[in-house]
Amino acid sequence: MRNPLGWAALTLFSLVFFLFIYAPLLVIIGYSFNSNPVNMMQWEHFTFDWYRGLLGLGERAADPNNRAVYVESTEKMLAALRTSLMVAGLSTTISTVIGTATAIALARYRFRAKGFYNGFLMLPMMMPDIVLGIGLLIFFVTVGIHLSMLTIIIGHCTFLSSYVFIIVQARIAGLDPALEEASADLGASEWVTLRKVLLPQLAPGILGGALLAFVISMDDLVITYFVAGTDNTTLPVFIFGMVRRGVKPEINAIATLMILTSVLIAALGLWLRSRKAD
Amino acid sequence: MALLEIRNARREFVTPEGTRLAALDGIDLDIGANEFVTLLGPSGCGKTTLLRAIAGFETLDSGTLALDGNDISTQPPHRRPVNTVFQSYALFSHMTVARNVGYALEVRSVERQVREHAVAEVLEKVGLSGMGTRRPNQLSGGQRQRVALARAIIGKPRLLLLDEPLSALDRNLRQQMQLELKTLQNTLGIAFVFVTHDQEEALTMSDRIVVMRAGKIEQIGSPRQIYRHPKSRFVAEFIGETNLFTVTIDRIDGSHALAHTADGLELILPAGNCKPGGNVQVVLRPADFSISDQGIAATVTKAVYLGSDLHLFVQPTVGGPEISITARDSAQAPQPGSKVHLAYDPAAPHVLETA
Ligand SMILES: Nc1ncnc2c1ncn2[C@@H]1O[C@H](COP(=O)(O)OP(=O)(O)OP(=O)(O)O)[C@@H](O)[C@H]1O
Ligand SMILES: [Mg+2]
Repeated sequence: MRNPLGWAALTLFSLVFFLFIYAPLLVIIGYSFNSNPVNMMQWEHFTFDWYRGLLGLGERAADPNNRAVYVESTEKMLAALRTSLMVAGLSTTISTVIGTATAIALARYRFRAKGFYNGFLMLPMMMPDIVLGIGLLIFFVTVGIHLSMLTIIIGHCTFLSSYVFIIVQARIAGLDPALEEASADLGASEWVTLRKVLLPQLAPGILGGALLAFVISMDDLVITYFVAGTDNTTLPVFIFGMVRRGVKPEINAIATLMILTSVLIAALGLWLRSRKAD
Repeated sequence: MALLEIRNARREFVTPEGTRLAALDGIDLDIGANEFVTLLGPSGCGKTTLLRAIAGFETLDSGTLALDGNDISTQPPHRRPVNTVFQSYALFSHMTVARNVGYALEVRSVERQVREHAVAEVLEKVGLSGMGTRRPNQLSGGQRQRVALARAIIGKPRLLLLDEPLSALDRNLRQQMQLELKTLQNTLGIAFVFVTHDQEEALTMSDRIVVMRAGKIEQIGSPRQIYRHPKSRFVAEFIGETNLFTVTIDRIDGSHALAHTADGLELILPAGNCKPGGNVQVVLRPADFSISDQGIAATVTKAVYLGSDLHLFVQPTVGGPEISITARDSAQAPQPGSKVHLAYDPAAPHVLETA
């Protein structure tokens, strides 16, 4: 019944497709274990040196020209990671609350200019990062807010709220409105219905939105670059700074660790979702 | 005083085309304590809207709703002592069956032990003992239906509203649930307002049937009244198989009237208010006819086998529309093509009050 030729073509197409997506990642992971410090395209032998160097364990690999070490300071990198985690944690929390509340309000209450709000909430997602970044910077400077971790968090919330909103809104749209009516019918006030029925029913969407927001926040370079000021560096900004001075083997190690973290977060998301499903 | 008194209830919707549509167009209805009332009518006639107005999910544009003499039309749904069984069941998928059923008590902060006891009792009543720890999606359609029912009756409402609760079940289960619902209603002593567009279901279960049409009540009566004495052609045709004849009265002969259709078919009817020369519409149900040696001469055109009965379509020899009749199935039952005569009790024809 199946056309074997078509089938083979489809298989080939999918293989090429996946190769295209995953090959760069695999290359990075591979090179992160390559001991050749000069030319990382040339395989020498397997090593954990780059990881050890990163984490400040063992000896840091020296620049072949003996000028400087690759990662100037493990402390700086760890500080950047800490900033990233704090920014991501706080802005995810704030934007999850804002995004969820907005999605519920827009789906369940009638008020004027609803369509306007709906469109407006999409805008931060569609807007080029660079525009948003410059806009935020000009705004902060005009209003006189000193650039700090706070401005990074505010900046991230502006667009993360939109992502959470979109995901929670999709979940609400698929929800039977009779569920909330049934709750009210059985004597629950709106507040109790929100707590006992609506939020638990939306939980997979809210969690999914929060995970996505976290990952996007951890990953953001452009907007953070504009609003971070001088004292705060997030991990992506830090890495960007390193790369400007050439792609060094330790970058591969950092990238591999980030890939690992993303995969873990994605797996957590999938696991939570499958647990919710039954 | 009736349990629920609905007076001149009106509710209009604006259609997407911008016109106004009266989903409830002046509804007056009383529902007695412990009464089983069925709302029956074609799709879009306003049954769900009326039910939602009673539950509080729709506000009336005008009119009043009084429960035990107290106006409830401004109360929010969670304050009304009325519970609903939703057509989609609307079970909370993130809770166990027991927590679903106990929800009304949970939100009223009833003590845990009292609640668990009540839940076990109600689950027993609907035949779901021991299913409390399951999740709704681990149940069959019929079982979900029972959970929805148990959840709605645990709070002992004055009035239970059911919107086509059986429409998703297969025929056997539906018939079984019809009986169970009726029994449950008797033992609980709660008034039921039941929505269906299945006329057979309405006839078997109800104390009273409310036939609705385009936002208005067409007729209220017991199943027998509705079936035997429909007020209008709409009700007659909506409830059960109907043979409808438009006749001209020839003369009155004692308690009977003699009449004929435009095709020349002669009929005898109860005289009632008939006047010679007048035009009336007459309803004869398929079961009113019997096959006999004399009467209306006709030819069988089609026979549909229904188990113990046969449904026959017969063409009167004088012409006009086919008549549908039921006959017991037997070896001598007429076949398509057989010539038969149709007889009926002269008291059986029902003359419609309105066209
Ligand atoms: N929220 C609404 N907005 C606009 N029109 C509505 C709304 N709800 C109901 N209607 C209209 O009101 C009329 C009555 O609807 P209702 O749901 O009460 O019908 P019903 O008798 O329950 O029909 P069915 O047997 O199909 O369930 C319909 O014409 C419907 O289109
Ligand atoms: Mg309906």
